[in-house]
Amino acid sequence: MEIGVYWGCMILTSQYAYEMSLREVLPKFGISITDIDQVSCCGTPIKNVNQKAAIYLAVRNLALAEKAGINELLVPCNGCYLSFSEALHYWEKDDTLKRELGSLLAEEGLEFNGNIKLWHTVNFLHDKIGTEKIKTAVKKPLNGFKFVTHPGCHILRPSTIVNVDEPEKPRKLDNLLKALGAESIDYPEKLDCCGGGLLLSHSESALTIAGLKLKAIKSLNVDGLVVSCPSCKVMLGAKQEAVGAIVGEKFEIPVLYYTQLLGLALGIEAEKLGLHLNQSPVDKIIEKLT
Amino acid sequence: MTVVDLMSEAKMNVELRSKAIEKGRYELYNCFQCMRCTSGCTSMKLLELKPHQVVTMVKLGLIDELITSGIIWTCAMCLKCTERCPQDAAPSDLITALRNLAFDMEANVPEAYLKVVSTVLEVGLIQEEQKVTSRDFEVYDRGQLNLPKISKPGEIFKNNLLILLTPEED
Repeated sequence: MEIGVYWGCMILTSQYAYEMSLREVLPKFGISITDIDQVSCCGTPIKNVNQKAAIYLAVRNLALAEKAGINELLVPCNGCYLSFSEALHYWEKDDTLKRELGSLLAEEGLEFNGNIKLWHTVNFLHDKIGTEKIKTAVKKPLNGFKFVTHPGCHILRPSTIVNVDEPEKPRKLDNLLKALGAESIDYPEKLDCCGGGLLLSHSESALTIAGLKLKAIKSLNVDGLVVSCPSCKVMLGAKQEAVGAIVGEKFEIPVLYYTQLLGLALGIEAEKLGLHLNQSPVDKIIEKLT
Repeated sequence: MTVVDLMSEAKMNVELRSKAIEKGRYELYNCFQCMRCTSGCTSMKLLELKPHQVVTMVKLGLIDELITSGIIWTCAMCLKCTERCPQDAAPSDLITALRNLAFDMEANVPEAYLKVVSTVLEVGLIQEEQKVTSRDFEVYDRGQLNLPKISKPGEIFKNNLLILLTPEED
């Protein structure tokens, strides 16, 4: 089958490992990727200053997807997934919005019909491909590994708009880990935010919030932290040293995308999955697996 | 961060209140101050954000105070308050509406947000394509990682976005 992918700014301009790992793992399940040209920001940061402009950005990207013949769109970033879900939600309900934004889209020869099904990495792998299929495809099971998951806020809330998983007791990322043979440890801070949303206005507090989460995870002595959002990955992974300096701790917690771990379990080389780009010490995982 | 001397000086601003209310889709008046929002708020501990107070202040029409105090920019947008609100008052949506109002009024919007806006207008994305450094200090760009080239949106997109971001005249 074919699936369209909207990568979003963070993945396209810096979080390359998420893109590399998805491009490696999806073909293993017979899925080919259609890219979309001329996409822009999804609308998330613009929503803070103007909600209508944010919806314009979202529907413009969705219209480009429709134009490329895509009717199922994978949106691997949590923030972009919420932005598109929200735009779809309001587009359906608001005819004035449809008219006004529709005429702006028409200037670029675009039209949005709303006939698009959105997927996030987590529910695409869990519900569309399915954990049984993943289990069968595993070549190097992660037996003996213990991980914690961080689903991230924007694929869970508000559940009136997004429905990737149960908002207050998400299990899909954990089930996906189990399908690889690993154990997923539950912890009280699982639903805590990474702090990313505060980075622009209160960066020190943002890092402290990430630090509180990492402190809790450190005490669990797990092999690593599994994420599915580029913003959470930056806060909890790439910024680990800065976060440690703020909360007075030394963190050496491997943080990686689920798709990278899936790739390893499918027998794909670490470098092809962008694991050399992770700033946290993921070598521990690669070494333990070989 | 706190909103000081509120009750002594503040006056209800009905006009601004309607503007804030128009900008969202929340059931503000249904709030009965159960404080579920504040009990789960990511920013409460560190930045003293209390979403139930924001809701009350909007009800009281104390919009100038909310906007100039900067308290609306302490929200991490984790959206727990909106998820857990039993009355659909959706505090995080209300905070977003207040941020939009602050932008329209050119009032106390953190510089970093304005910078993102101008980058999106210029580049179409939140930043230009970056080179990244591996743990072994090797530097890579998209091409070296065998990732396809990015194609950016054109001038019509930029003009349309600019039109939408320009506040409407009263």
